[in-house]
Amino acid sequence: MAMTLASAAWIFRVASQEAGQGEGSSLPSTQVSADSLRFRGDAWFLPDEELLGFVEVPAGPFLMGSDPDLDPLAFGNEHWADTGGRASVDVPTFYIGRYETTVAQFRAFVEETGYRGDPAAAAGRGDQPVSAVSWTDALSYARWMDAQLRASPDVPAQLVRVLGEGWQITLPTEVQWEKAARGSDGRIYPWGDEPRPDRANFMSGGVEPVGNRPCPECPYGLADMAGNVWEWTRTPFEATPYDLEAAPRDLREDALWVMRGGSFADQAQNVRTAVRGGADPGARRPFIGFRLAISPP
Amino acid sequence: MASTSSRRSRSARRQEARRAAVTSPSAGASPSRHLWVPISFTLGLVAISFVGRVRDNPVLVWSFWASAGALVAWQLRLFLRMREELTMPAFSTVLRAQHYLQACLQLSVLVYWGWYWRPVYEYAWLLVAQILFAYAFGILLAWSRRRPYVLGFGAFPIVLSTNLFLWFRDDWFYLQFVMIAVGFLGKEFVRWNREGRLVHIFNPSAFSLGLFSVVLIAANATDLTRGQEIASTLSMAPRIYTFLFVIGLIAMYKFSITLVSGLAAIVLFGWSAAYFTATGVPYFIDSEIPTAVFLGLHLLVTDPSTSPRTPLGKALFGILYGVSVFALYSGLDAFGAPRFYDKLLAVPFLNLSVQRIDRVAGAIQSTRWWSRIRPAWPPARLNLAHMAVWIPFFVLMTATGRTDGRHTGHSVPFWQQACAEGRRNACERLIEVEYVYCADNSGWACNEVGRHLAEGRIVDPDPELSRAYFALACEARFQSGCLNLLEPDGFVAAPPRTLDLRLLLREGKATLTAMPEPELYDRACDHRWVFACDALAIR
Repeated sequence: MAMTLASAAWIFRVASQEAGQGEGSSLPSTQVSADSLRFRGDAWFLPDEELLGFVEVPAGPFLMGSDPDLDPLAFGNEHWADTGGRASVDVPTFYIGRYETTVAQFRAFVEETGYRGDPAAAAGRGDQPVSAVSWTDALSYARWMDAQLRASPDVPAQLVRVLGEGWQITLPTEVQWEKAARGSDGRIYPWGDEPRPDRANFMSGGVEPVGNRPCPECPYGLADMAGNVWEWTRTPFEATPYDLEAAPRDLREDALWVMRGGSFADQAQNVRTAVRGGADPGARRPFIGFRLAISPP
Repeated sequence: MASTSSRRSRSARRQEARRAAVTSPSAGASPSRHLWVPISFTLGLVAISFVGRVRDNPVLVWSFWASAGALVAWQLRLFLRMREELTMPAFSTVLRAQHYLQACLQLSVLVYWGWYWRPVYEYAWLLVAQILFAYAFGILLAWSRRRPYVLGFGAFPIVLSTNLFLWFRDDWFYLQFVMIAVGFLGKEFVRWNREGRLVHIFNPSAFSLGLFSVVLIAANATDLTRGQEIASTLSMAPRIYTFLFVIGLIAMYKFSITLVSGLAAIVLFGWSAAYFTATGVPYFIDSEIPTAVFLGLHLLVTDPSTSPRTPLGKALFGILYGVSVFALYSGLDAFGAPRFYDKLLAVPFLNLSVQRIDRVAGAIQSTRWWSRIRPAWPPARLNLAHMAVWIPFFVLMTATGRTDGRHTGHSVPFWQQACAEGRRNACERLIEVEYVYCADNSGWACNEVGRHLAEGRIVDPDPELSRAYFALACEARFQSGCLNLLEPDGFVAAPPRTLDLRLLLREGKATLTAMPEPELYDRACDHRWVFACDALAIR
């Protein structure tokens, strides 16, 4: 099957990057050092943390999308149709992976289930983000991880509770992803309003181990929300940002799914928190990966 | 047919060849004198292993080298034995129309079919390799049996006929060489006395095809071959039935096999029509006679050496082939085996029944009433009379859309409706049709298969497999498949997209990539896709 990366619908704007930008955040932040990063071989290579690498993102509104007056690099598809700029979106509590899913984690899934995807996905360094995974591969992994955590007696009590209440391990929605990436203050990049190569892996030659570039300013202590690999979401790619009230799309149209965050191969403009990429759900590319979320029913 | 005098001269030539079989060498002659012939064929085989098509797959390369190695070892052993026994290998040359004409007809099918399904042409080197192997194997077998090798075109129909029905996949290709070898061994060792002569029982290619079919089915290893693909892609060549009919006429005329082929076809056409009348669904999914069966009844079952000789015997043989294929199609289905083996399994059993058929025919022919109704015509004229019946019959079948035309079973909505109405086997056929289109990369079809597997109404529920099909649908960019994968509570469906229609409406032929959209929707409406008719009405 021809798997072409769908047009990302970016409308590139030649504009100055000297827009007014504010720094700082009122959100909780946890510094992550690559040196301290450990994974549990006895727990599907999930991070050796209290919640196995999942971080709670509390309920509340955040500013989604881009205002071209504040962010001249913004693409047209980041604007809300009715306002032409940003909108406040209220998001219920959810959990999201601190790191992108790694090769070791995905390899554990492949080895246990015999899953047949692109062999390149399970190859490579274990601590690097998995790539060459399609949207369907990512969902299969999420479903498997959901089943593993439900069945394991050795899961943190908080996760047991939420899973028992019907929450599901899956991909984040586009809204969840953007809130996790930029917090509630409308910042352009996860760390602020200026591009910083010391905070994220972009415009480089390849992927890096997850959490390799510490980002103390990033909301919720998440790593690699900009760059490294694009991340699949479970939101269909629409012409305007995700709208909870929108009518279902025409099912006869070809499927495209939103991916976020940009990759190591992208310019600073594409690793902004509001950038929306759309890709063919079967695309397996070396710059597309994912991270998990735990969503309420 | 050959005249009596020419038959006698051929027989004399054969006996002469036998006398010259393995003789004492003249002074200074060495057994190696003729060994260059099988060595050349073996070297040819090795040379082909360096062709790109072979080199691309290491298993394929090893298959070639292992086969060549086995032939070299055999040649060496033979050489040592001949030197010890002071004997010399010998050749004779006999060109039989039965061989070269069959080879031409089979080759023409491959060329025509390959024009529309390119893997056939890509397979050409592998075919040449098998022919080289067959010659080397045949020569060594004859010399090992201390008789001269009769050089001619005999290897061609064995190899070509085998390859019209079964190819092992590249990773298992060494079995293709084994299959050819088995054909020769069957011809050499499985013999009986027929009318005072020791002759082979089985059509060599049908023997190996039949034997391998049984083993593959028993071992549940049918996916090692591309048999199913071969059978289904034959119909990609436009007017393939007409093509096979025309080349069949040549074989019918030359070898007087009209009664075998014609009656087999008539039985199958008749039975298909009766079944449809009784059940409201076609017996064979998308044809009155599957293309590969139609090919088989012209080129596989008609070997004059292994079929009855009398007209009545031939008639019974043809009828039994038709009945066997019909029965095996259902029988294999009941065992969960691929149905395409029907045409292959029938032939060896019929070959085995030839003497009995001849006896029954002889008994009937000796009755008084038979001599009263039998036309006192010479065989050639009688054959022409049979052809005179067969030709209009085929024309009639074609004119009524029962060969190359669109078949009821090509319409997916037909199967959907038949399934909903609970017609016999309709739901099984519906999902089978959808599996085929899903394999062709129709996202719509994959989503439908996923829904059936999830809902468990017409197949046993299998949530995991269902998700795998939704994933295939999604990867084919069929949005419903993605949504079903994401939210497994309550499944969504949508009509086929234009891309899907190009697959779903191909009617067994190549994908309709170039068909303009209005024409495509027109055809979709003909296939009873309601959404397409609605779209046309709006336009």
